[in-house]
Amino acid sequence: MTDPGGAPAGRRLLLGRQLLDHQIVDQDGRLAGKVDDVELTLPEDRDHGRPVVTALLSGRGALASRLGGPLGRLASVLSRRILPDPCDADGDADPDAPDGRIWFGDVTDLGNHVTVAVDAADLATDAVEQAVRRTFVDRIPGAKEPGA
Amino acid sequence: MKRFLGITLGVLTAMGGFVDIGDIVANAQTGARFRMALAWAVVLGVVGICVFAEMAGRVAAVSQRPVFDLVRERLGAGVGLANLLASFFITFLTLTAEIAGVALALQLATDVHYLLWLPLCGLLVWLVIWRVRFESMERIFGLLGLVLIVLAVALWRLEPDWGGLVDSARHPAVPLGEGRPTYFYYAIALFGAAMTPYEVFFFSSGAVEERWSRRDLILNKANVFIGFPLGGMLSLALMGLTATVFAPVGIGPDHLSTVALPVSVALGKVGLALVIVGFFAATFGAALETGLSAGYTVSQYFGWPWGKRFAPREASRFHVVVLVSILVAVLFGLTAVDPIKVTEYSIVLSAAALPLTYVPILLVANDPDYMGDLVNRRLSNVLGTVYLVLLVLVALVTIPLMVVTKAGA
Repeated sequence: MTDPGGAPAGRRLLLGRQLLDHQIVDQDGRLAGKVDDVELTLPEDRDHGRPVVTALLSGRGALASRLGGPLGRLASVLSRRILPDPCDADGDADPDAPDGRIWFGDVTDLGNHVTVAVDAADLATDAVEQAVRRTFVDRIPGAKEPGA
Repeated sequence: MKRFLGITLGVLTAMGGFVDIGDIVANAQTGARFRMALAWAVVLGVVGICVFAEMAGRVAAVSQRPVFDLVRERLGAGVGLANLLASFFITFLTLTAEIAGVALALQLATDVHYLLWLPLCGLLVWLVIWRVRFESMERIFGLLGLVLIVLAVALWRLEPDWGGLVDSARHPAVPLGEGRPTYFYYAIALFGAAMTPYEVFFFSSGAVEERWSRRDLILNKANVFIGFPLGGMLSLALMGLTATVFAPVGIGPDHLSTVALPVSVALGKVGLALVIVGFFAATFGAALETGLSAGYTVSQYFGWPWGKRFAPREASRFHVVVLVSILVAVLFGLTAVDPIKVTEYSIVLSAAALPLTYVPILLVANDPDYMGDLVNRRLSNVLGTVYLVLLVLVALVTIPLMVVTKAGA
């Protein structure tokens, strides 16, 4: 299914209906954001290659830029303001920081959920979760145990 | 006993929907002004919420997908976001009113002004959400809310003119002195209260919190078909009480203490004490339901980890949304905004947003990719479709009616 040069046989997937806006679940069953957008790569040689689904986009403004319009722009600006940025002030990217891309090769199952073979903690959407946890939630007593 | 406790999710959901602060007063007012001539709107609402809550619970049990997850998936990111904004706003307004409602119940018991109780009530609601396990929470407040059965007992003790009540329910007519638009405005308020979207958000998320699976479909049915009719019965009992006590003398109860009056007339101090406990439990339950729903909707739209089955730090963003919602609700409540007006507005506004929540449930409940052999039967689809048409009609007339009747004045 993920083989770009494969024959047309195999399971067909409707991007809009069966992929976009679906829940992403990590290898341990943790909820890890939504499929905010899907990235296709067109081959350089259009006559012989096929477009390949390269990545699912989740977090890091993917939703805001997809929504567009005034609301989307506002969300974009807000998310850049509020959310931690993996780039430093000069714009040098931290090569290990998640950029919101999940390689399609990491997708292990496509059902009601999109299951991926990575740890949610390594994904962009979880960086915000971690930041909120570190700066705020962990400081409230009782944050570490489930309810009694 | 365990089986019985299994239906507390449905009971708590229904209490929060049917006998929360706004409904307590709205039902009391309609009883006093229209006697039982609007009972049909409650019955219509009970059937509607049963149809969709059963679907939502079944989808959650089979696919572990709560309602707002489906909303984003089926309506797409844009329309889903519009629904999120509307639903969140309604839920937040209701949360404000419920926290104030808890404070009003305490004022009734202590004579200390409710604004002084308000911050403490907000803190208590948050503490329960932060620290109490979901099952314990739903059992405590679901069971405590059952104390409101005292409303039905009081009605029975008053020995009302049953024939007259049933007659006014079976042959509904707009009473003299009331306009037709006002009558329909209240009909929508009652119908909207029965079908508020936060009930399905809470119910389906609760099913996931309790890890329901395909084996729990009977439990789902029991929750739905016992919980919601029970809530509806209590709101009808309240309507009957005020129809019996207030309608003949032309008094319109617009405060919680006036609503409690018929119960103390019928059952004395014990009745009054019980009804105050019941009001406290029902409004507190509704505050939990709306507070959690605020977190559920936002988290499920964005795909964040959510819920009380994890330690709070595992669902940090969810808990921040809940905490901030409660905090802002308390601040909003402290401006001395009339909590009863707030819920009335939020219920009527929610009627305008209902179709966007119920369409995705109906779609997914019919999707074999999710449901396998447990897709909707024909009856659910017929009823679901009829109700959707009705919801769209209601959504269209709600705002104009609100303007024309000056919100039922």
